[in-house]
Amino acid sequence: MTPSAVTLDGLCKRFGGIVVAQDIHLTLEAGSVVGLIGPNGAGKTSLFNLISGAVAADSGGIYLNGRRVNHLPMHARARLGLSRTWQHIRLFPSLTVLDNLVVAPRLYAGESIVKCLFGAGALGRGRAALVERAMAQLAKVRMTHAASRYPTEFSYGKQKLISLARALMNDGNALLLDEPIAGVEGPAYDALTEVIRDEAAAGRAVCVVEHNISFVKDLCDRAVFMFQGRIVRTGTVADLMASEELTELYFGR
Amino acid sequence: MEYAASALILIGIFVILATSFNLIIGFGGLMSIAHPIFFALGAYTSGLATTRLGLPIGLAMPMGALVALAASVLLSLPALRVSGDYLVIASIGVQLGMLQIIKNLDWTGGPGGLVNIPPLFASVGWRPAFAYVTLVLVSALAAILLVRWIVSGDYGRAITAMRDDEEAFKALGRNAVSIKIMLFAIGSGLAGYAGGLYAHYFLYVTPEQFEILYSSAMLTMVVVGGLGTIWGPALGAVLLEALPQAVKFLDFPSSVMAPVQGILFTGLVLFFLFAWPQGLVGVRRALHRPEPEEEVDEAGAADGAGAGAR
Repeated sequence: MTPSAVTLDGLCKRFGGIVVAQDIHLTLEAGSVVGLIGPNGAGKTSLFNLISGAVAADSGGIYLNGRRVNHLPMHARARLGLSRTWQHIRLFPSLTVLDNLVVAPRLYAGESIVKCLFGAGALGRGRAALVERAMAQLAKVRMTHAASRYPTEFSYGKQKLISLARALMNDGNALLLDEPIAGVEGPAYDALTEVIRDEAAAGRAVCVVEHNISFVKDLCDRAVFMFQGRIVRTGTVADLMASEELTELYFGR
Repeated sequence: MEYAASALILIGIFVILATSFNLIIGFGGLMSIAHPIFFALGAYTSGLATTRLGLPIGLAMPMGALVALAASVLLSLPALRVSGDYLVIASIGVQLGMLQIIKNLDWTGGPGGLVNIPPLFASVGWRPAFAYVTLVLVSALAAILLVRWIVSGDYGRAITAMRDDEEAFKALGRNAVSIKIMLFAIGSGLAGYAGGLYAHYFLYVTPEQFEILYSSAMLTMVVVGGLGTIWGPALGAVLLEALPQAVKFLDFPSSVMAPVQGILFTGLVLFFLFAWPQGLVGVRRALHRPEPEEEVDEAGAADGAGAGAR
């Protein structure tokens, strides 16, 4: 049996008195889309930060494809095939949209000055392939026309689409998306839903933090409800939203 | 003639220092103030290797650069692995501590300095001076071109992304620490090489020439010329080296000159950081910046056009 793309085993994290993760057990399987829902401050983004390595866990295990990665820095986890987006986008404003994607694959030869110096020919060929790959990701989110422009020339929603395309450059098997749909509307909304479905169908494990419940309902096979750093319940989106208790937690009394 | 040559050599050396300091603070975004000590390590290594060990200058000068480079790796490896912020503190410590060591060892000449360093070109007359000026200016140009090569292309793209958003950069799988160590090492190595150039022309080095205050002079050159630009620091170095040289003709007593220079440097940094943070080079660029285009609305039809644009 192949191990799960992401496994969290009793994960705990607190900042002083604030518990952001308390005994979290969660697996993300290849080919499925899991929705992470809950009110603001429930610990959804913190969970992404723990998995990606931006924040170190206090206790518990984080496994990528069966390998324990607690001790690995952020970039090493990304190289194992973990990719993420942020609620606040975080594109590189000084680079063109295309270059934002070109620096984004898991292994980028341009990161090593030695390879730049001695592998010049190889890198030149690699560059053409990289550009082609980047354009293919931009095409998925229908943003190829943005390639030679700068991210800040585009609306918030379109920057979201570009940041998803950038995350796809990793070509890994785990994709964490933090509010991918917020600010995206119209035809872009459909494009985004389609892309996420396609990525899951291609064998990636996708986890989506989202407040737009109809989007979660459309997209997710399974939803996880978080509250105060705990997983309160897991089930189908319809089941979770039918629960009066959870609705109360979500909206307050 | 002699005066013009040494002024040009000093300018060239400061062009190398400002350019390499800019690689570290401007392009790498690394807050270090220890640049003078790497300059010192190059000068002292090369000077000591020739006077005490009798090594040929052609070997001693690259050795100076390598020692500075190695020392910078030893400093940045622990500091950058923890957090970039520690580099500032570590660099202050190294700058002050190393200089104290140099001051207090007999072998380095102590506070009196290292004398009788052999010249690179030994004969007398205008030829050696001319040759040395050429060497320094070619070296300065080479340093600028090296920095330009580093910060453009694939590696430069990574550096820019790292400076824009380090966390996003790391989350994509990029190793920010190794890039920072690399930039710090190359910048410090260049400063060490400049040290060698200094030692074998002026033939005399003392600890005072590498005091922490010189990092503010270098910072002024970088900021005035243009932080994070290719030619800016060179321009800043030329202006700020030439300016005091020009003022020298006014023949103020040195008790007036020193404070005037300090006030000049501080004033310039403050002025540029507030009024022209892009520096002189940036000002020119801002005037020539093309108008941003209107956003093309996303549509299936625009896709084909965009794909061919690059």
